Amino acid sequence: MAKNRAQIVYSPRQKVGRFFLWLLLLVVAILVIFPVLYIILGSFKENQELLLGGSNIFPAKWIVQNYIDAWNQANFAVYTKNSLYLSIGVMIISLIVSSMAGYVFSRKSFPGKEIIYGIFTAFMFINVGSVSLRPLYELATNLKINTSLWPVILFSAGGGQATYIFLCRGYVNSVPKELDEAARIDGCAFFQIYYRVIIPMLKPVLATIAILSFRQGWNEYILPRVFTMTNDSLRPLTVGVNMLKNAGDGAAAWNIMFAGATIAIIPILVVFICFSRYFMGGLTAGAVKG
Amino acid sequence: MSEEHLQLRPTDRPPRPVNKKMRLKEQGGLSAGLMLAPSLIFLCVCSIYPFIWIFRYITYNYDGIPAHTRFTGMRNITTMLSDAKFWGSVGTTFEYAALKLVFIIPLALIMAVLLNQKLKGSSFFRGVFFMPTVISSSISGMIFTFIFATGNGVLNGILKNAGIINQPIGWLTDTSIVMMAVIIMSVWAGFGNYMLYFVTGMTSISEDVYESSRIDGANGVQTFFHITLPMLAPVLKVVLMLAITGAFKDYEAIMVLTNGGPGTRTNVMFLYIYNLIFGTGSNATRQIGYGALLSLVAAVIVGAVTIIYNTVAKKLDDVV
Repeated sequence: MAKNRAQIVYSPRQKVGRFFLWLLLLVVAILVIFPVLYIILGSFKENQELLLGGSNIFPAKWIVQNYIDAWNQANFAVYTKNSLYLSIGVMIISLIVSSMAGYVFSRKSFPGKEIIYGIFTAFMFINVGSVSLRPLYELATNLKINTSLWPVILFSAGGGQATYIFLCRGYVNSVPKELDEAARIDGCAFFQIYYRVIIPMLKPVLATIAILSFRQGWNEYILPRVFTMTNDSLRPLTVGVNMLKNAGDGAAAWNIMFAGATIAIIPILVVFICFSRYFMGGLTAGAVKG
Repeated sequence: MSEEHLQLRPTDRPPRPVNKKMRLKEQGGLSAGLMLAPSLIFLCVCSIYPFIWIFRYITYNYDGIPAHTRFTGMRNITTMLSDAKFWGSVGTTFEYAALKLVFIIPLALIMAVLLNQKLKGSSFFRGVFFMPTVISSSISGMIFTFIFATGNGVLNGILKNAGIINQPIGWLTDTSIVMMAVIIMSVWAGFGNYMLYFVTGMTSISEDVYESSRIDGANGVQTFFHITLPMLAPVLKVVLMLAITGAFKDYEAIMVLTNGGPGTRTNVMFLYIYNLIFGTGSNATRQIGYGALLSLVAAVIVGAVTIIYNTVAKKLDDVV
């Protein structure tokens, strides 16, 4: 297809037109990048410069003190650790739970399967908003697990599992059943087929789920906010940096907030740049299935 | 079923002592149940239980302290019917959703069409446009609070330097402008998603169709309206539905950017409900029972909008 394309010869007029289209893309791209660039460059400014404002997005004087302060004084070391626990926890649980469920849904027929599957689908569309966090919060309090990050990890993974299960089921469906049968003849039981045959075949979709669920955990905001309302030491970056903003003396700490916001977006941007094809692939794959 | 019978035939595998327990294991019923269990537990705890919990509390006055719980019968419903703030927030949600769609869908579509021209650096641009969608909405909200700040915000700084304005604009404090600021943020944060759906949809349009239209002398605009758009119709329908339901559910970034303010100008319904349930914002006391009722009503509103959209989309399908 690319070859076909290369044969097209554009007239000078078309070339000018195409240049303007390209320019339009560039303008939009600059507008899209600007906020991110502004926050990253701003995190190297002195607070005084930030509070003064102006149109210059480059620091007059480059400093890293903001990061040192954010890390040491504003507890960002703890927030970063919590964000990592949260996102890696959600990722691992999502991978295990959704691949097993997707496998069973694809390969096993059992009474009530369609109903259970229907309930999964229904709850993807029923959205009652934040109210569902209230019973979960009370549940965690009653079980006395609210002093750790576990309820946040578990409820985040549980809330997002349906999409991942659908992705896995769709993918297992495309794995030939003959492979299962061959493994079974070789003496593999149901679970052995899963981890010897299915898991290796599922690698591409598991990579997508790993990335998407990592992002989900890393970006989670309302859920950890509710669960760490009274416990600063459990807050992930998203909540921690926003609490600074609400702290009243917010105006005074712009530099810390810029540094904090940068710490919160850089890792996910790096992951995105390295694995952008999985991010984008996952989006469209999910849409086709849903 | 058939393959299970197949594998139980003795010739298909080396002979082994067959007893009942063994057979059950080989059929995998037990392991299948165990493997499905985690997701079922999640479904029950994270989805079904909260849903039932809501129904339990809609007729109660509940502020988070169990001893205070009181059955109030229909009072939550009558409160809701006369709650101007809630219905105002519903109106705000519609306004926000409509404005967001008006800007985000054309922008996503135009960018997708441009990317489809295979101009230099297309995949780079595609990555750039998609980038904001990987950033947490809470952080996007925060970034735009800095950008839109009246006194030292960079947007006012740039506009002032360019000589476009003399007085700083109160992006987040002026009730007639704040909605625009919210829309700018949410379009920035979300259009890459829909753009990507369009791009994917367009790659399935055959290159030959474009080729023949070019030979027939169609220009870019004609090609778009007579080929790209009609062939993209199924994708457009799905994207519109995702965009509509998505816009109605937005509240995280708005909470960070304006927290519904100034006043209640950008107080969308899910934000209003959040503040009721967790006793934050202007609501000092939690009204969880009432919030549960409103959540249900909000979910019904979103559901109704979705159904109406689907019906209209189907009707249009029959006409065109």
